[in-house]
Amino acid sequence: MKILKLNLKLATEVKINQVIKEAITTIKNGGLVIYPTETIYGMAANPHDQQAINKLLKYKNRREGKPLSIAVSKQAMAEQYVIINQQAQNFYQRFLPGPYTVISQLRVNSQIDQRVASEFGTLGIRIPDYPLMLKLIEHLGHGITATSANASNKKRPYRIKDVLNNISEKQKQLIDLIIDVGQLAKNEPSVVIDTSLSTPLSMRGQLRTNDKFIEFNSQSESETQGLAMRLILKNLNNLKKQGLLFGLSGELGVGKTIFAKGAAKFLKIKEEITSPTYTYLNEYTYQKGTLQGIFYHLDAWKIDQEQEFSLLKVDQLLKANNILLIEWWDKIANFLPDNLKKQAIILDLSGQDNWRKIKLWEKTKK
Amino acid sequence: MGKDKKMILAAKKTILAIDTSCDDTSVAVLEGNRVLANVVASQTAIHQQYGGVFPTLAKQAHQENIEACVQLALQRAGLSNKLKIRDHIDAVAVTVGPGLAPALEVGIKHAKKLAKQWQLPIIAINHIEAHALSPLLSPKTKRQNREIDFPVLALVISGGHSEFILIKQIGNYQRLGWTVDDSAGECLDKVGRMLDLGYPAGAILEKLAKKGNPNLWSLPLAMTSVDNFNLSFSGLKTASSQLINQVKKQKQLDGQTVCDLAATVQQQVFSQIIYKLERILFSPDLSKKVYPKAQLIKKIKQQKTKAAVTDINEIWLGGGVAANITLRTSIRQTLKTYQKLSGKKIKLHLPYHKKFCADNAAMIALTAQFSSEQSKNTNAQLIDRQANLKIGTFCQAC
Repeated sequence: MKILKLNLKLATEVKINQVIKEAITTIKNGGLVIYPTETIYGMAANPHDQQAINKLLKYKNRREGKPLSIAVSKQAMAEQYVIINQQAQNFYQRFLPGPYTVISQLRVNSQIDQRVASEFGTLGIRIPDYPLMLKLIEHLGHGITATSANASNKKRPYRIKDVLNNISEKQKQLIDLIIDVGQLAKNEPSVVIDTSLSTPLSMRGQLRTNDKFIEFNSQSESETQGLAMRLILKNLNNLKKQGLLFGLSGELGVGKTIFAKGAAKFLKIKEEITSPTYTYLNEYTYQKGTLQGIFYHLDAWKIDQEQEFSLLKVDQLLKANNILLIEWWDKIANFLPDNLKKQAIILDLSGQDNWRKIKLWEKTKK
Repeated sequence: MGKDKKMILAAKKTILAIDTSCDDTSVAVLEGNRVLANVVASQTAIHQQYGGVFPTLAKQAHQENIEACVQLALQRAGLSNKLKIRDHIDAVAVTVGPGLAPALEVGIKHAKKLAKQWQLPIIAINHIEAHALSPLLSPKTKRQNREIDFPVLALVISGGHSEFILIKQIGNYQRLGWTVDDSAGECLDKVGRMLDLGYPAGAILEKLAKKGNPNLWSLPLAMTSVDNFNLSFSGLKTASSQLINQVKKQKQLDGQTVCDLAATVQQQVFSQIIYKLERILFSPDLSKKVYPKAQLIKKIKQQKTKAAVTDINEIWLGGGVAANITLRTSIRQTLKTYQKLSGKKIKLHLPYHKKFCADNAAMIALTAQFSSEQSKNTNAQLIDRQANLKIGTFCQAC
């Protein structure tokens, strides 16, 4: 592990170019490089190099299928990796370079290691608003991984110390080079926006903080399923910590069970998900990578009274790694204890024929 | 057909079986396929007040009833004397899935206890396989020893399942089609509930449908545009709810209107089953699940082309909805038409009594007759509930 200290205010052009050159050589040789951005310190590996990605995943540890994203220097470079649709184009224009990661459909010929992309065949792209890095990537000629430099679930790295104090010796040995520019401004990590569905969906951070809910348009069953899968991915940390609760409302035939099927698909449940109206509650054990738990599918259609609902003992179902999905949420929401209600991700579905409108409350619906 | 495809039922073991997969506690004793005793403790009275089965309540009721059911079954089978049990019973069988997990648990636990107490092997049984084989059951008084002409097509249509299963031999199954969302019974139950029919809504709906006119309204026929043998009742459920709301707006739902609506929905559920059954019969190659093209079906029906002769020699119908007379009649009609078009006669076999269409332990004991010696010696501790078990995917413990 080599540390290159760099004072960006004082450093000469020559010194900066030296650092860039050394970092490029390291990346080309399959090494891992910690680099500064306008948000937090990132970890660069060559996304085209399988060995380098092996090394990066070993360093990050226990990712459970969370995708990595890629930093590029300009939109033209991004287009080598992903298909930029109109939605994405808007974000590129408005926000990039800047603290935003825009997820798009991966190109078939992108030639990146599969594990960099998401399991949905999408990839996040970021153009850091940080001249040093833009120059480095431009000279390298291709993207670098844009994952944070900390090990999974550890402190956000605004200083190199934040990284090194929270990793093992083994992990330290995996780092080849560190570009240390000192303390970074404490900006939030990039906002992550998925533009691969009909409506943009934030996967981290919020686009407009004053919105109580977002309105999502789904044009097909696979989009409704895609939304379910992305919402679980987005809340993976919560799933592992306390479990996830989804509350779905909407008339018959608007796609509540379709959403449940999407959740099951994400959890790699092979059984057919069918409506549990008659017996209220179906349970499926799942295993996705190292993650395992129970997926409970509850249909509250027939429940009118609190006493009936209490027979299901719902409070005992929701624990770490378990997902509880409740259809006809509005019929039972008032029977739930407040602490559970607060956790709920609520979706209100409506629509006809081939279109569906899904209102999504990620914090408790008022 | 070669002789090897026929099989004579010769199993003679005496087996006590337990089924607690849903809302009925059932214990049976069979000798071969002869039902010596089949006790069912219904939980209808418990679940009636709610209109559905709560897993927690079902579990509790199973726990309260199971020992009494075992005692009664033994008594009816003439085995109440403890010495007789060890001498006569060869094994204990139990449903491990599919079903309600908390309910299955009770049966499995009790079966393990009995097996240990009587020092008998325990056999894990798949509930759907048992429904599929239920037409092989025979009354105590009959020494039935009929031949089976494989391959057989089994239709399992119930509150929880809707499946087409090709039985090449007992134990060798191919799932040809299944519901991708709701089961037929679930759909009928939900519509019954929309019409405020009480509990169990599905069964009441069947009664009312008899008095109704199924042709006043039309509902869409699902799954006709997909080229496979799968079923789907979720869309029909939605369309039915829209129809009911539409009718409600126009007039008061009087008794006759409710009967007409019930008949309409039921007919549409059965139409889909019949539609796919026809496609299975007309399939040019069933082993590869080849779906017959629309053009081919059209030509066959216009009698321009003779229908290919299917391999299927018998049809078995099992599951709660199998008790429905209208469904039975429709299937018979389909087979008659098929005979006219292809020249091949296929016979429909049903459980000998309506009570064996519903969940029962007799079919579990029957299925256990065919399980291999190897599976009987399974370590009892390995047997566990498998709430979403499929036919053909074998129990972990088997």
